Amino acid sequence: MKLFIKRSAPVLGLLGLGLAGCQPDIEAPSVSAGTANFARYISVGNSLTIGVTDGGLYREGQLNSYPNILAGQFRLAGGGDFVQPLYSEAQANGSGYLRLTGFTAAGLPVTAPVTTNLGVRGGTPQIPLYTKYLDPINNLGVDGIRMSSITIPDFGNFSSTSNAANFNANFERITPAGSSQTYLDRVKATVASINPTFFTEWLGSNDVLGYATAGGAASSITPTATFTTNTGLILDALIAGGAKGMVSTIPDVANIPFFTTVGPTFKATLTANNAAGLVALTGAAAGGVTSGNRKQIATIDIRDAAGNGRQLFTLTSSPFLGLFNRPTGAPWRYLLAQANQPKAALGPYLASFGIDTLQAFGTTAANPIPSAFILDDVEQGQVLTATTAFNTALTTAATNRGLAVFDANTFFRSVAVSGYATNAVNNTAGYLSGNLFGLDGVHPTPRGYAVIANEMLKVINAKYGSTFQGVNPNSFRGVVFPQ
Amino acid sequence: MTVKTLLLAGGTLLVSASAASASGFQVNLGGQKNIGMGGVGVGLSLDQAAMFYNPGALAMVRENGVQVGVNAALGRVSYRSENGGELRSLDNSVVTPFNVYASFGPAEGKFKFGVGVYTPYGSKLKYAEGWEGRYALTEIDLEAVYVQPTFSYAITPQLSVGAGLMILAHGSVNLQKDLPLPTGPGHVTLDGKTKTHFGYNAGIFFKPSDKLSAGVSYRSQIDATVESGSVTFSGLPTGASAAIINRGFTADKFSATLPLPAVASAGIGINPTEKLTIGVDASLTFWSAYRTLDFQFSGNNGNAGAATDANTGLVGGNTTSTSKRYYQDALAFRLGGQYQVSDKLAVRAGAAYDFSAVRAGYVGPETPDADRAIGTAGLSYQVTDHLGVDASFMFEAFRKQTQTQQDLLNNGTTDRVAGTYRTNVYIPGIGLHYKF
Repeated sequence: MKLFIKRSAPVLGLLGLGLAGCQPDIEAPSVSAGTANFARYISVGNSLTIGVTDGGLYREGQLNSYPNILAGQFRLAGGGDFVQPLYSEAQANGSGYLRLTGFTAAGLPVTAPVTTNLGVRGGTPQIPLYTKYLDPINNLGVDGIRMSSITIPDFGNFSSTSNAANFNANFERITPAGSSQTYLDRVKATVASINPTFFTEWLGSNDVLGYATAGGAASSITPTATFTTNTGLILDALIAGGAKGMVSTIPDVANIPFFTTVGPTFKATLTANNAAGLVALTGAAAGGVTSGNRKQIATIDIRDAAGNGRQLFTLTSSPFLGLFNRPTGAPWRYLLAQANQPKAALGPYLASFGIDTLQAFGTTAANPIPSAFILDDVEQGQVLTATTAFNTALTTAATNRGLAVFDANTFFRSVAVSGYATNAVNNTAGYLSGNLFGLDGVHPTPRGYAVIANEMLKVINAKYGSTFQGVNPNSFRGVVFPQ
Repeated sequence: MTVKTLLLAGGTLLVSASAASASGFQVNLGGQKNIGMGGVGVGLSLDQAAMFYNPGALAMVRENGVQVGVNAALGRVSYRSENGGELRSLDNSVVTPFNVYASFGPAEGKFKFGVGVYTPYGSKLKYAEGWEGRYALTEIDLEAVYVQPTFSYAITPQLSVGAGLMILAHGSVNLQKDLPLPTGPGHVTLDGKTKTHFGYNAGIFFKPSDKLSAGVSYRSQIDATVESGSVTFSGLPTGASAAIINRGFTADKFSATLPLPAVASAGIGINPTEKLTIGVDASLTFWSAYRTLDFQFSGNNGNAGAATDANTGLVGGNTTSTSKRYYQDALAFRLGGQYQVSDKLAVRAGAAYDFSAVRAGYVGPETPDADRAIGTAGLSYQVTDHLGVDASFMFEAFRKQTQTQQDLLNNGTTDRVAGTYRTNVYIPGIGLHYKF
């Protein structure tokens, strides 16, 4: 009897294979453009649009930019070529970026800058100049650009008076030498030459982000009036040829890992050591111990993972908080170097703030935690107010012009609260392990950009009746861990 | 043929069904004659397979005998992701659910003893390399072999009852999936054998005339428990990230319980002429017992270093995992007929409709269930007065089942994938019967 089963099984198997040769078919859903036309697509925006990740712009990030992912989908419904100012294979590391090399014994990540195969052609340490890319391009994303920057002349024309406020090296990279063109002019010229049928626009994050990531100690928030005016200018330029398009709002920066990673750990450390609180600088104003620029922060007021408390610590503060309650000058030397100041400037700088590095760091008013390390409740209020105002301006301007709106702010808030599952993988807004944010704690990973592209496609489908399906985010990487 | 041989057969033939042939991971392949007739049998007394369909009917089966049957179940599962991409399919494998029955008893007596060995539940699926749902499941092999001593008694010439002791003699589970590690995909395998469990089935059979019969039967639920199953990881990092990642993967053992649900059935048999037999069955499988699939992890595979309660027994940083199933009770309706062409030849045909045990939005790759339409055909040929051959073929077409990521989010079932499943199952089968 056992023999019977053993002998029968292969025969039945063969019989079955003959009968069951055909796999049930599931027809691929048709991808259609709806009422929009995706034949010629251009994208306008900042670092998020050009594909910055892990603190730099490099070829892999560019290839995984959300506009490039969108263009790949658009191609399924009549979309054409989408040209990006790619760094070459030989200069694939572009501006350079951060990579994760390992972990300390305590489990803290160790990063190192990538310094080989860069696309840097010269310039100064303060303002490096990148290998030019002057062919016509569809992706006009410029790392670091603000909405307030789009009307600045000579924005891509390097000269002796170039500085962070009036010049952008990434715009210089795609601008012919000697051109005084503004970004807005470049967009107008591109619209005239390419005659786009569809566009995406995502400017505005840098109008609050620079101020926020500097802990309110540097940069500034763009006035709402300027933001509103420029939003109208850029959108009018984009629709000049009759293109349809999508405008994105800007996310509230308080939810990104740059601000949510360090505070909870530090709070736990302080609590474990029964430290009631700390003293910090706030704002950018110079002044001594009694000048009013010191701020007392209770330990309980530091925001933790559960959302209790208000004060946010920047990712950049992480290496220095271990020096808490010890005399040190390390944080100040770091900040000075970040600002490209010579070492000789340290003494006067410390004096102007009444800082004595022989005092205990963070526990004495004479050696407070730098303002640049904390986005405090007052600064958060300013950032939130501006973000809300900017988003109102963006949404109103887009709606008035009949454009689709991707509410990135709502989307990122939901990711921060409940994560974002993709094909049985739970991604979160957590640093390193969350898959969505890169090593700089600000910019998305390729996985993050893929998720953004999918969400944008939903909005485009809803507005224009198209039927794009998006991509499988799991085929895009999160943070690269060394083996 | 002794009970011991039968038990041995059950223990050595580790076989299972693919893409189970009834709702959920149920396998309704009890006997070749029944399979050919759409799976009916509760209201009939065809042969020794009554032990499976309705033990109450066994006493009405005239001849004693032994029968053995085997099927080759070929599941063809197709999947297309919500996010486009190519059509995904299973790596095709053939699996062979089987059954063996023997009955004994006085030729003209009122009672019959019997022993049956069969495979009422099982599933075996292996998805294509790198498919979208790899982090939910890459392959599953679920086996359950029941051994069932049975006693049936005819209270009157019209009414008989019967009951069997169901012994889950062999049960095993092998579950594998990829792990979404930041160093690249890893892999985890859960493998375990169930403890021996007991249940019962019972039935009543009523045959008021030569032209009409009816029956009801019930099979109890058995909770198949795995204790100290093994947990094996592969693809974990070995270098700079090893310490930080591998401390979340320290388990080497798991335990879990899987319900093999109860089934209640009723059936009617009609003999309009001497040559024609028609059967109609309805059955209800109590799948709602399957609420969640829970794993408890334990042990230290070495990754925990100095082991403590906190750092051992971890899979992905957790000592437990729970996954919603929320199955629903599933009805099935079956209709089949047999026509005795000659003394030697009988032909059969049937159809059935099984409702899905798994709701839309809860479909997981281990059981891509859906409502299904079933068509069957079969024949028997009596080679000698004692020996006959039975053959059957069953085809199942599942309804296309689509679930969106939004459905998964709404249900809290994002541990599986959004997309569309469609399955066909082809089940040829052959059997021998020998009448004493």
